[in-house]
Amino acid sequence: MPEELRPDAALGLEGVPHTGEAITEDGMLVEPQAGDFKSAKQAPSNPEWFKGAVFYEVLVRAFADSNGDGTGDLRGLAGRLDYLEWLGVDCLWLPPFYASPLRDGGYDISDFRAVLPEFGSVEDFVYLLNEAHRRGIRVITDLVLNHTSDAHPWFQQSRSDPDGPYSDYYVWSDDDSRYADARIIFVDTESSNWTYDPVRGQFYWHRFFTHQPDLNYENPDVQEAMLDVLRFWLDLGIDGFRLDAVPYLFEQEGTNCENLPRTHEFLKRCRKVVDDEYPGRILLAEANQWPSDVVEYFGDPLVGGDECHMAFHFPLMPRIFMAVRRESRFPISEILTKTPEIPSGTQWGIFLRNHDELTLEMVTDEERDYMYAEYAKDPRMKANIGIRRRLAPLLDNDRNQQELFTAMLLSLPGSPVLYYGDEIGMGDNIWLGDRDAVRTPMQWTPDRNAGFSMCDPGRIYLPVIMDPVYGYQGLNVEAQSNNASSLLNWTRRMIEVRKQHHAFAEGEFIDLGGSNPSVLAYKRHWRRPDGRHDVVLCVNNLSRFPQPVELDLGAHRFSTPVELTGGVRFPEIGELPYLLTLPGHGFYWFQLVEPEEEGDTR
Amino acid sequence: MSADIERFVAGLAAELPGWLPGQRWFAGKDRPITGVTPLGTTVLLDGDPLLLHVVVEVAQGDRREPYQLLVGRRSHPPEVPAASWIGALGGYEATGDADLTAVLLDLMVRGERVGSLDFAREPGVELGRDLRARPITSEQSNTSLVYGGQYILKLFRKLSPGENKDLLLHRALQAAGCEHIAPTLGSITGELAGKPATIGMLQQFLSDAVDGWAMATTSVRDLMAEPELGPDEVGGDFAGEAERLGRAVATVHADLARALDTEPIDDDELARTVGAMTERLDDVAARVPELVPHVPGLRAAFEAIRSAPANSITMQYIHGDLHLGQVLRTVNGWLLLDFEGEPAAPVEERHALRSPLRDVAGMLRSFDYAAQQLLVGQDADPLLTERALEWARRNRAAFCDGYAKVADEPIGDPRDHGALLRAFELDKAVYEVAYEHANRPDWLGVPLSSIAWITQGGE
Repeated sequence: MPEELRPDAALGLEGVPHTGEAITEDGMLVEPQAGDFKSAKQAPSNPEWFKGAVFYEVLVRAFADSNGDGTGDLRGLAGRLDYLEWLGVDCLWLPPFYASPLRDGGYDISDFRAVLPEFGSVEDFVYLLNEAHRRGIRVITDLVLNHTSDAHPWFQQSRSDPDGPYSDYYVWSDDDSRYADARIIFVDTESSNWTYDPVRGQFYWHRFFTHQPDLNYENPDVQEAMLDVLRFWLDLGIDGFRLDAVPYLFEQEGTNCENLPRTHEFLKRCRKVVDDEYPGRILLAEANQWPSDVVEYFGDPLVGGDECHMAFHFPLMPRIFMAVRRESRFPISEILTKTPEIPSGTQWGIFLRNHDELTLEMVTDEERDYMYAEYAKDPRMKANIGIRRRLAPLLDNDRNQQELFTAMLLSLPGSPVLYYGDEIGMGDNIWLGDRDAVRTPMQWTPDRNAGFSMCDPGRIYLPVIMDPVYGYQGLNVEAQSNNASSLLNWTRRMIEVRKQHHAFAEGEFIDLGGSNPSVLAYKRHWRRPDGRHDVVLCVNNLSRFPQPVELDLGAHRFSTPVELTGGVRFPEIGELPYLLTLPGHGFYWFQLVEPEEEGDTR
Repeated sequence: MSADIERFVAGLAAELPGWLPGQRWFAGKDRPITGVTPLGTTVLLDGDPLLLHVVVEVAQGDRREPYQLLVGRRSHPPEVPAASWIGALGGYEATGDADLTAVLLDLMVRGERVGSLDFAREPGVELGRDLRARPITSEQSNTSLVYGGQYILKLFRKLSPGENKDLLLHRALQAAGCEHIAPTLGSITGELAGKPATIGMLQQFLSDAVDGWAMATTSVRDLMAEPELGPDEVGGDFAGEAERLGRAVATVHADLARALDTEPIDDDELARTVGAMTERLDDVAARVPELVPHVPGLRAAFEAIRSAPANSITMQYIHGDLHLGQVLRTVNGWLLLDFEGEPAAPVEERHALRSPLRDVAGMLRSFDYAAQQLLVGQDADPLLTERALEWARRNRAAFCDGYAKVADEPIGDPRDHGALLRAFELDKAVYEVAYEHANRPDWLGVPLSSIAWITQGGE
């Protein structure tokens, strides 16, 4: 291979196992195997763990730096697991930590079987897995099935050797006219889904950035190669994958090339590998689509689902923001009404914020304008078609609203996904480029670099937040863990309460409606295997003003609502509608205790 | 019927002249009751407890009007409000007794006829059983019971022979596939002067619903809390909802026009309308001095509709008393309720075909009320007043925009019928002046300021 086409040389993988270290006689790239490494011990067995788990999205780069190079790494993260265990986190979700030229935050993977050197090594990842599993914490990571970086050796082989074994790994065409009905996703930067490659003299297909050619799933070799990537990490002990951008795997003329039946067929193959070879591990679909389309990614409901175990519920999140701003429950109630039942063996993942912008793809144009006007008053706050802000600044740093939002996140149907730093109300830095505003270093202490790194402050990958409101000197984990009334301790307590009631995890969701549009009230009703009922009542005041609400709780006559954080018994439910009053942005969680259960409040 | 029950009913009738005026739904509070005669009694539960359905005729001088009552008697009565007890005979108004009202739904489930009362489900409807009912407390002229949060039974208090307009229009809209009403599930028919008369209507209860007044005032409250921002800039902006509401109303009008009679408006009708409006104006101006300065402007606005182009508008069945309190926001969009028409109007007038612009005018008036309700009784604040006006203008326009998107010719955009719409709105405002003058003098400024604004050429 000519020297300039050897990507690994530029990626610092010399001396560590990586794809393409050697090439076999029939032209195949030699790739690292799981057996080359020690594997991690598994977390305690519980095949349904994901249904009630609290997820925590943590950027390896941003959490803790163990070697003082200014960039967070896997060993640094492993060193902070005590904190995450204390907080009540059940599963870490790590965005990609693979070898990558980092032109798309690591989603441009140049070697599926190597760790980005600045994050550490495969051995470091196995160390993290062992340390996490020892604490009962699981770890999943992103896997991009749809495409690779153009620096991936597969692509380099494919473009330079059109007759070789990698010739059909990507979607090549002599012109750029095919699949004209597929939309362009990154409208800000891309003008076409096709790009001309002068090396091969053909156009290649890419649904995302130009430097991310789509893999050709028509080719059975690609399917096998990607299944082997899954096996590589599963063999090492990982607990699952968030499958990035799943709707786009296949292309078909005359369609929008999203959600095609063959894409689902391939996901069923992935699932079968997991079920047959790695039971208890999960697949989580990232499909930014309407819930009625996303449920397809759970697979066949008759068998409890045979594609992904989980999928993100995208449209819920912007609607939570909209509902509070409008002081009306309808944006939330409507989207949940339009959310279909999901198969018995599956669960939604829900979130308030993540490493991407507040996604507005799943709202109407009218609503998008509204969200921009409300939450992105400065044009710099907008990116692509979303808003790049953290939770606290989005809510004007209002503690009541942060608590209300978190209470809804922890009680609406689905497993909650927290975003690192939001548990202490971290701020953002909208003057940083791209989506870096919400990717600044975790604030641990008031010390140098917020305790994130011992490096020279000039060397840090992004500056820590230093403004007077969100600056690390005052806002950090150390200060908040010592303060009983801090947001951090409050969040920890709410997670604890959530875990005491399985109704939050798997209870049926019943919207109670009511005549006050500013109050969102719902029940989570769990029928326990022993036939008894765990019923939790959640009442949320979406308005900044105090509100009364009369709830029709006729089905629970004679039950007693017991408030969950303090155990206070409220008046018994009678024949008349149940009256509650809430302070502005206040909320309640109750367990409804039936008379015969007296004395048993769990 | 046993002699005991006959004696009991006769005793009740003697107590009713003193009892009826204390009931919210009683429509004849303006004159003394000169006599109450039982017209028919049906025993729904015999023994202890006893549940009777009683129709009585209330005489007030030369006015004779029938009302229905549900009367209970039992040895261990539940706690009911003191006002429910009718005299000291042991009988009480039983709509608040969930043990007894359960029988109404059971009869409907079984589709039974008891005496002259016919309990019927609509074709193809299946109902759940054994649900307890609670009365809705906010109702004015009728009594509604909610069964287990699933069904709502409206008992019409003042009865009239024939199919009630509410039921008639609901059935027509349902047959037309209209999505902006609550489904009708059943009805109770009794007898009045030997003719069938609707006495009750069962509908799906929408527990997720919020009435339009609560939705709109939530938005106004948000605006008033941040008066430095305009209504298009605050989070609680209502224009999207108002626009969808306009579409819903236009859809209902179109469905009614398709399903039932229509006729073109003619000069005679216009003349009658002007006559009725002017008559009301003179009547109210004679009682309310604050209205007098506006009389010339109002009269001119009413006269202006005589020149409305012929066939510019079609007469049809309309809602008749449309305002924000008569619409419900559900997760599936807006619904219209209560097609009875203005409760105070005579039956013939409620059943008359009328211009759909009257409903539009009613809703426009309601936006004005919603905008100003927080200002009533407060010291005048020019900024808040300006915000309220902006809110009303923005949402009235959005409502008309939505209406225009759906309404077919000849209606189209209501604002294209400026003279007629203005006259209907002013007529409604004159009615409001009379009402506020009599009941809520603090609120008199709301219709008066609108009259001033509209007659001076505002929109």
